[in-house]
Amino acid sequence: MTAPTPTPDMVAAGYEGRLAVVVGGASGLGTAICRRLGDDGAHVVVADLDEVGAQRVADGLAHDGAVGHAHHVDVRDPRSVSELFAAIDGIGADLGVVVLSAAVETRASVVDCSDEEWRDVIDTNLKGPFLCMKEAVPRMVEAGGGSIVALGSTLGQVVAPKYPAYCASKFGLTNLCKQVAIEHAKDNVRVNIVAPSACDTGLFVRMAEESADPDAIRHMVTSNVPMGRLGRADEVCDAVAFLASDRSSYLSGAVLPLDGGLAARRT
Amino acid sequence: MVADINDAGSDETVEMVQQAGGAAMAVHADVAQRHDVEAMIAAATDSFGRLDVLYNNAAVQMSGTLAAATVDDWDDTIATNLTAIFWACRAGIPAMLAGPPGAEGGSIINTSSVLGLVGSEGYVAYGAAKAALIALTRQIALEFGPHIRANVIAPGSIDTPRFRKVADDSGDPTGFVAAVRQHIPLDRLGTAGDVARVALFLASDASAYTSGAIIPVDGGLAVLR
Repeated sequence: MTAPTPTPDMVAAGYEGRLAVVVGGASGLGTAICRRLGDDGAHVVVADLDEVGAQRVADGLAHDGAVGHAHHVDVRDPRSVSELFAAIDGIGADLGVVVLSAAVETRASVVDCSDEEWRDVIDTNLKGPFLCMKEAVPRMVEAGGGSIVALGSTLGQVVAPKYPAYCASKFGLTNLCKQVAIEHAKDNVRVNIVAPSACDTGLFVRMAEESADPDAIRHMVTSNVPMGRLGRADEVCDAVAFLASDRSSYLSGAVLPLDGGLAARRT
Repeated sequence: MVADINDAGSDETVEMVQQAGGAAMAVHADVAQRHDVEAMIAAATDSFGRLDVLYNNAAVQMSGTLAAATVDDWDDTIATNLTAIFWACRAGIPAMLAGPPGAEGGSIINTSSVLGLVGSEGYVAYGAAKAALIALTRQIALEFGPHIRANVIAPGSIDTPRFRKVADDSGDPTGFVAAVRQHIPLDRLGTAGDVARVALFLASDASAYTSGAIIPVDGGLAVLR
């Protein structure tokens, strides 16, 4: 592992010689976050169910002069999550940042939602972060602190038709992160949530493209957003990078909405 | 229809309802088993011909920090406090919608917790499940709005046998209760009756225009958060 020469910015961010793990880094927002953290000087572990995709992202990081590792993980499976973090121990650098980005969604009314759909969403989006934090937090405590950033969602604060499992998983995730933030506040482990609304990258785009009329769905969604447009991946990356770095050192248990002003409509 | 994993408790409740002049039956249900949940809904519609109110109150309260909670604790808590209620609603909503002409629909009441509303410590799985349940309930309120109302009761510290056990386990029950009361503006523990009266309101037409609400029954505890 050849470390890039630390810049004053890297030192300020607190990344120098530390690892950032992006769980769910092989696609969508996760990949954009890997690139941003790599650009900022973190050593990035790209972890994903899609091992080939994770390797591709890690290779891309190396190509751009950053340091990337790839590892397979199925966040629904405790053993797989343990294996990921054991492998991270082998890299020999302190774990400074974990980004919890792995998520799936299913679109079905509660009366039509199958057991498999329900389990997949709850296990990936809620149990996965629980398992990852169980492994990551003790390592961060030992390293003197760290920052966990979970990808929540606007649907972790308001509900939407046809998303019972997804809304449940993201509301649950928000509560889980706040608890861990409180439990480990004195250990200098911070846990924060970015809550994007529909973005031009990731699950929303995939869902829109698979629909009969992608433009109509885009229009329907953006017409509700005060700014009248989708979020952009680079905007999510800005927020994640801020929360991951030491620049947000007094911020924990927070939910940062990235939603073009949607949150202003709520109490 | 009184459903519980504790048959003796169900029988006692049925007797109380009957003595008060009501009609009641008991059905055994371990809500962590999907079959039991579906059989519970079927027993209600088979016996009474309709389903008007579904009150999901069953829960396990397993405390535990992130560090202490095991994967089994997590799975058990999510199964009983979240997935079981998903199953009950999935089976119960069509039964409600199939009600007699002019009376299609009903009222769903789900018991969450103040711990589902705020961050706390020592309840990772419980808090996550109760927060997720709030989302599920409001999602149902949104999607089945014309015919079904769905509301959440969020109890705080209620003086139940479960609470008494936690107090006793602390080694100093009097001190424990005093410490809890310090954070309750009404300066007392809640009673089962406090919760029941809110549930009756949500079950009845007195709350006909209330849906998707989260009603804390906590003596004012949540205002401190």
